[in-house]
Order: sequence, then C-alpha cells, then structure tokens
Amino acid sequence: MTQTPYQREQRLFDEALETPPGSARDAFLEAACAGDSALRNSLASLLAADADAADFFDGGTLTLVQLVSSQTPEEPAAGVNPAIGTSIGPYQIVELIDEGGCGSVFVAEQTQPIRRRVALKIIRLGMDTDAVIARFEAERQALALMDHPNIAHVLDAGSTAAGLPFFVMELVPGSSITRYCDDHNVSIAGRLGLFVQVCHAIQHAHQKGVIHRDIKPSNILITLQDGKPVPKVIDFGIAKATDIPLTENTLLTDDLRMIGTPAYMSPEQAERGGQEIDTRSDIYSLGVVLYQLLTGSPPFDPKELARSGISELLRTLREVDPPLPAMALCKLPPNQLTALARSRGTDPFGLLSAVRGDLNWIVSKAMDKDCPRRYESAHGFAADIERHLAHEPVVAHPPTRRYRLRKLIRRNRVVFASAMVMVAILIIATGVSTHLYLRERDARLGLVRAKLVQTSLHQEAERRRVQAEALQLIAETRERITQAVVLLRDGDFPAADALVAGASLIRPTPEGAEVFRRLGDWHAVHGRWEDAAARFSYLIKVNYLDGSDTPSLDHLRAGPVLIESGDLAGFERFRRAMVARFAKMPGVLSAERTVKVALLVPAGEDLMQALDPLIDVSVDSLSGLDQQPVTGNVDHLEIWRMDSVALGEYRRGRFDRAEAWSRACLEFSKDNSSREATARILLALALHQQGRVGEARSELAPACAAVATTFGQELRIDYAGSAWWFDWLIARILLREAEELIGHRSATGDPHDKP
Amino acid sequence: MLTGGLHPPLYRELRRLAASQMASESAGQTIQATELVHEAWIRLYGNDAWQSPQHFLATAARTMRRVLIDRARRKSRDKRGGDRIRVGLPTADAASPEPVDQLLLIDEALGRLEQIDPVRARVVILKFFGDLSNKEVAAELGVTERSVERYWAFAKAWLFREVNQQR
Repeated sequence: MTQTPYQREQRLFDEALETPPGSARDAFLEAACAGDSALRNSLASLLAADADAADFFDGGTLTLVQLVSSQTPEEPAAGVNPAIGTSIGPYQIVELIDEGGCGSVFVAEQTQPIRRRVALKIIRLGMDTDAVIARFEAERQALALMDHPNIAHVLDAGSTAAGLPFFVMELVPGSSITRYCDDHNVSIAGRLGLFVQVCHAIQHAHQKGVIHRDIKPSNILITLQDGKPVPKVIDFGIAKATDIPLTENTLLTDDLRMIGTPAYMSPEQAERGGQEIDTRSDIYSLGVVLYQLLTGSPPFDPKELARSGISELLRTLREVDPPLPAMALCKLPPNQLTALARSRGTDPFGLLSAVRGDLNWIVSKAMDKDCPRRYESAHGFAADIERHLAHEPVVAHPPTRRYRLRKLIRRNRVVFASAMVMVAILIIATGVSTHLYLRERDARLGLVRAKLVQTSLHQEAERRRVQAEALQLIAETRERITQAVVLLRDGDFPAADALVAGASLIRPTPEGAEVFRRLGDWHAVHGRWEDAAARFSYLIKVNYLDGSDTPSLDHLRAGPVLIESGDLAGFERFRRAMVARFAKMPGVLSAERTVKVALLVPAGEDLMQALDPLIDVSVDSLSGLDQQPVTGNVDHLEIWRMDSVALGEYRRGRFDRAEAWSRACLEFSKDNSSREATARILLALALHQQGRVGEARSELAPACAAVATTFGQELRIDYAGSAWWFDWLIARILLREAEELIGHRSATGDPHDKP
Repeated sequence: MLTGGLHPPLYRELRRLAASQMASESAGQTIQATELVHEAWIRLYGNDAWQSPQHFLATAARTMRRVLIDRARRKSRDKRGGDRIRVGLPTADAASPEPVDQLLLIDEALGRLEQIDPVRARVVILKFFGDLSNKEVAAELGVTERSVERYWAFAKAWLFREVNQQR
C-alpha cells in the first residue's frame, strides 16, 4: 500500500523525534529520505518548527485567552489613573483609593446639590449597566430605610461615559476591620466589641429587608469618631444590584462575584450562584470575618482557593469543614503565632486560651454549612458573643451539664467553693439512680430527635424536588418577599399580599415567615378565613422546615382559621401533623397548646389516645389548683392552661373535672375577657352534659354576649390588651358547639361570615 | 436553570477548563477566561444538536475553539492595544503578524489538517482549545497516551510550518 506524502512525512517525523537531535538524527534522515531532497527539506522545516511550535502551543488556553481578550489587563504600574481629574455627572474624581479585580474606588468631589466628598466606585466587569442601575433603583427604597450609625449609605448609582455602572457612597475614611485591628494591636475582647457593633448594623439592615450578600473585611471599615474606633459597613445594595437575575448571564455574574471574594462566600452561595441567599448567608460571612479577626486569616486560604479551580473551590466551600479557630492557630509555625498574638496584645498562650472553647463554638455555629443551624439572626450572634464576654453560657456550645457548671462557678467562685463539699456528698448519694434515669431519658430523646430529623429530611427532599421544577419562581419569589417586607412596614397590606399571593416556594426565612404571619393576621381580622388559612398553612410549613420544636402561637392562628374557613379535612390533617410532631416533646407548654388546638373540635378515638398523656401532663402541672382555695399569685400561663385542661377533660368525657377546671379558671381570671368567655362556654358544655341545662344556659349567655360584642366590631390585628384575635376565634368556635348542643339560639352577629 | 439543568457534566467540564486560569496572577485574565467559558456554555446550551453525553469533552473543546476564534476575529478587526500583550512567539520581528492574526492563521491551517488528518486535528482541538490532558485526550480518542504525545508533536509542528510558509 502506497503512502501519501503527508503520511510518509508524518511517519518519518515520529521516528526522527525518537532519535536524539544532532548527528544521529541527521544520519537517520539522510538514510530515510534516500536522496529525496524535497522530502529531506520538508522534514527539516517541520523539525525546526517543532521547538517554536512548542512555545506557541504550550502556553495553553491562558495565552489564547490573553490573545483574544479585547480588554487587556491593566499594567500595575500605569502611573496616574487616567480617570483622575475627570468628571462623572456632578462628581469630580479626585484620587484613587483602591483598585481591585472588579472595579476601582475613587474619592470624588460632589458639586450638586450639595458640596461634599464621596466615594465613587466604578464596576468594571462588563455588565449590562442599565440592568445594574435598574436593580439598584428597585432596592433603593429598602436601602433608604436603613438608618444606623454603623452603616455607610450608598447614595447614588449611574453610568459613566464609557457605559460602566458606578455607585456613589458616603466617604468613610479608615481601613478595613482586620487591618485596623492588626495595626493597632487590638485585643481579642476589643475585636469582639467592634464585631458586635458590626452584627448590630447587619441586624438593622436585615430588619429593613436588606441583605448585604458580600460581607468581608474590606467592606467593614473602621473610622475614628472622637478618637474612638467605629465600624462602618459599606457597599450595601451593590452586591444585589450587580447580581444579574436568572438568565444565562447569571452564570457569568455568579462566577465574577465568586472570583471577587470566594473566601467569605457561604456554601449556599457557592451552590446556586446566589439564588437562595437569605439573611443567614450574611451570618455565615460574618462568621468568616470573626474567624479572621481571631486567627489572622479566613478559614480557607484565598490563594489556595483560587489555585484549586472553580469546581474544587465550590466543593470546598460546600463540603469541607474548616478547622476550628483554635486548631488553625495551633497549626501555625511558632514565630507566626507569636507575631499574631502580639498584634492581639497577648502571648501565644493567652491567645490560644482566649480562642479555645466558646469562641470556637460561636464561630462554628455561625459558619455551619447547614443554614438553619446557624444563628437565627445577627442579633443572636452578637448576643452570644456578649454572653461570652460576660462569662455566661453561650448558645453555641453543646450544652453539657459540666459546661454550664463551669460558667456558673466562674461567676460565683466563693459560693461554689463552700457548696462543693455538699455537692460531693449529694452526687455520691444520688449518682447511681441519676445515672440510670439520665441514660434512659437520653435514649428517649435521641429517638425522638432521630425521628424528627428523618421527618424533616423527607420534607427537605420533597421540597428540593419541587424547587428544582420551579427554580425560576424562587428567585422571583425571594425578590417579592423582600419587597413585601418593605410594603408591610409601610402598612400597605393589599400590595404586599398581592406580591406574595400564589408564592408557594420560598425557603424558610425569618422575613418570609413574618410576611406570611402578618398577612394571615390581616386576612383573619377581616374575616377572609380561606386566605388567612392559606397564609398560615404556609407559615406552619415554614416553621416545621425551620426545625421548630414547640407549637408556636402560629398553631393557635392556623388551627382555628382552618376551622372557620370550613376546611375541616385540612384541619384534621393539620392537627394530626401537630400531634405527631409534638406529642413526644417534653414540656408542659408544648402539651397544653397541642391539646388546646387539636381538641377545638371533637376528635376520633386514636387521636384522643395520643392526646391522653398530654392532658395528664397539663393537669399534673397545675397540681390541684382546682381544689383548695389558693392564696397568692397564680401565673397567667397557668390560668390559660386551666382552659386547655377543661377542654381536654371535657373531650375525654370527664365532665365533672371539666366543670372544676373551668370554674377554677373563672376564679383566677379576672382581667381577661376572652379567656373568661372560653371558660364559661366550657363550663356550660360540662354542665349540660351533667344534665344541668338551666345552669348551662345561664353560664352561656354572658359568654355569648362577649363574643358577639367582639365580633361586632373590627378585630384588632395586634395583641389587644389581653387577647389576640385568635383567642376570640377559639371562643367563638366552642360557643358554636355549645349553642348547638344546648339549643340556645343567640344573636352572635358576625358580619364576616355572611357570603 | 442552566447550571442545574440539562447538561451538568458538560458545564462542570467547561468550568474545569477555566480552572487552569484561576491560578493566574491577574484577576483580569481570570475574569476573561471565565467569561469565555460562559460564552461557550451559552452557545452549547442553545445548540439542540448536542446530544451525546459521551462526547461532551470534544463538544466543549470545539465550542471553545469557535468562541476563541470569533473573538480573535473581532479583535483582529478592531485592533487596539493588541500589541501590549506579550506572548511567547518566536518571531518578534517587525514582519511577523500580530499574535491574534497568528492564531487565526493557525486555525485556518487546522481547518486544512482536519481535511487530511482528522485524528491529529482532533488532538489539537482537544488539547489546544479544550485544554485537556494527554490522558483525557487518549481516553476520548481511544488511543494510548504515548500516541497522543506523538500526534500532538507532529500536528503542532505541521501547523506551525504551514503558518510560517504562508507568510
């Protein structure tokens, strides 16, 4: 078979490369070409090109990218920035403060409407400038609501002559929090003090519905006011404005933002390119900043992150647990540790013992990969640090008995010294039995927790599936929730409700829950029970997802509203879920509320069986308050519980007990008309069941009047003196049952129930 | 959504292509590389003809090639500041073409190589535009790594000679 010239050349080239260059290769070529000088020359030129080609090709894609990029990287020593001296709108650029990967920050002189110095940040990422500005305008209202001494305002946004977006901010002279602390040898306590202020600033923003999204040391500046260092958080609203919504460009943006500051980015930001960011992402970033304040560097080395490539970087942020701060310090070489300790005004030993323990746990809680397990708010984060500073037990620590004791001893050294002897004797005496008891109790709790975890895992899986189908909706919905927060603040319920109507896919966030709670309340007090039921059912779902383990007031909202809306099947599902979730929970409050809500309407035998122990627990906790005359104060929670107990006893057919408890409730309840009405209705029911129809009627009459009066006027949306609107709703539901049973027809005028 | 959507392995792969750029010193370059990957991804995503999950590496590399060459053409058209880039080209004399034009010439030569030797041309596309390792190319083509090395050595010498002869 004959070879084409190309094939021959190629075969000889391969073989020539096998022989070492020089005379051996020349000899080989001479022999192989056998006098064909054209082939000989051709091969020579190929071999000559080999070395040059390596230079060109082996530069890899990077060379290519450089080659085709129209924006060439700036030379670092470019001298005076060409922007200086020019004007952008009313802003004259004076000097360059900072230049980074995504833009430049200048000091600028504003001429109109007032003369002042501002900071001007030009974003250089090649984004859709109009979209950036439009998003900023959308956020502006929320940003304007922020008013906090530790927040620097973003004043304006616009587009430069070259079409790049720019932001104008309050000018904050100072350096980043980490730089300041290191330069001024600020002690650990001092750093924590500054950090707590930062948390309060972030909390303020969160309450106004603003999420920062890009918290990092360079966005927390320390400025001196009256000689005192004061932190100022800058760049609020910029991360959001430069975050392109869910289009193909999102990919671009999320990476660009990621390249900016991956080291401070939360796992969920790494996961979805910022799709599901809520306030807890900020909590995470705050955790990273605290980590760096303590240990000198963020938990993941930014250089290493950058070197690891994008997917590895994302994986690290999502999955790798960073070393605890104290561990990170231990790993440092001794001279570095000494230097680090010195810049914190202490020695290595002092630094390690300050960071070990609480601070370790506080940082890890804030930086938990699983966002529901982080601090629920920046305020909670700050409060824990303050507890640490005051030597009180912190939330973040796994609350072992020994740990609490250690904290207590620290606060009360003298008392404890003398008490120790007593304690030792007691411990030995009760040790064995306590041990057995605790072991059993822990096992039980463990089982309950495991079940809970399983339940929430199932729900989580289902939620994810639904989310995947409607990711587009989520981004939109999140935006709506934020706007709804703002609208609700202005009292514009209809607009807020229109925004979130049909929004069924949000993550459980404190803001989201609050929005749905307020809107549900609003519908309820206007008698729109179906709408209210929809909002509350959603709220309950959010609470469950958030891992709440006691029945909250939200259950007292949702249960009665479901009944009023006529959705009895929905109520049945709701109460069964509630009983399943809370029946095994310790604590009388949990038991009492479950009984109260679940038994608003008569229940089937199996449900009664499940509730039986809960009624008993509630009865026991009142320890015979129904029998002897009691002097002194009875806790108002206990008086409420009497209503629940009366209801429970009535439902399990112990009418005399129900009578006794409702009478006890009336005995103690002097100042609470809704509680009193409920007690009278329960009393009437119990009396009637015992054949005392006349008495029953006379008890029912005043309750009926009270309910009629309340519903005859507009219900209050907030806690009105002594009762919530749902306390009255509970009374009305029971009243209806009583009227049906006793046959007393009354004028319970209710304008809301009319079609 | 795109990243979570139809072709996650491909997207991951594209991101990996940009990963080598992440190590670079300059953030500016990194951003440009990432931008390119996204452009490539967007094109791929819009292309319904792309079906075979086995060949996503090859598809990604081909797309990268198109993106890069398009950009190079654009840049060649409105040359401004192009001479500020230093690339390890052997011919730095005044007569040599701009680096961008060099790339365009290489690409044209690659077009010719595809006609006469599709296998070696594919090695170039995978390695040069796709930034794949020899091992990955070997797996993709079903040959040994040693063969990939040889194919690569010849192909780049051949392409370079073609370009030099053009001048």
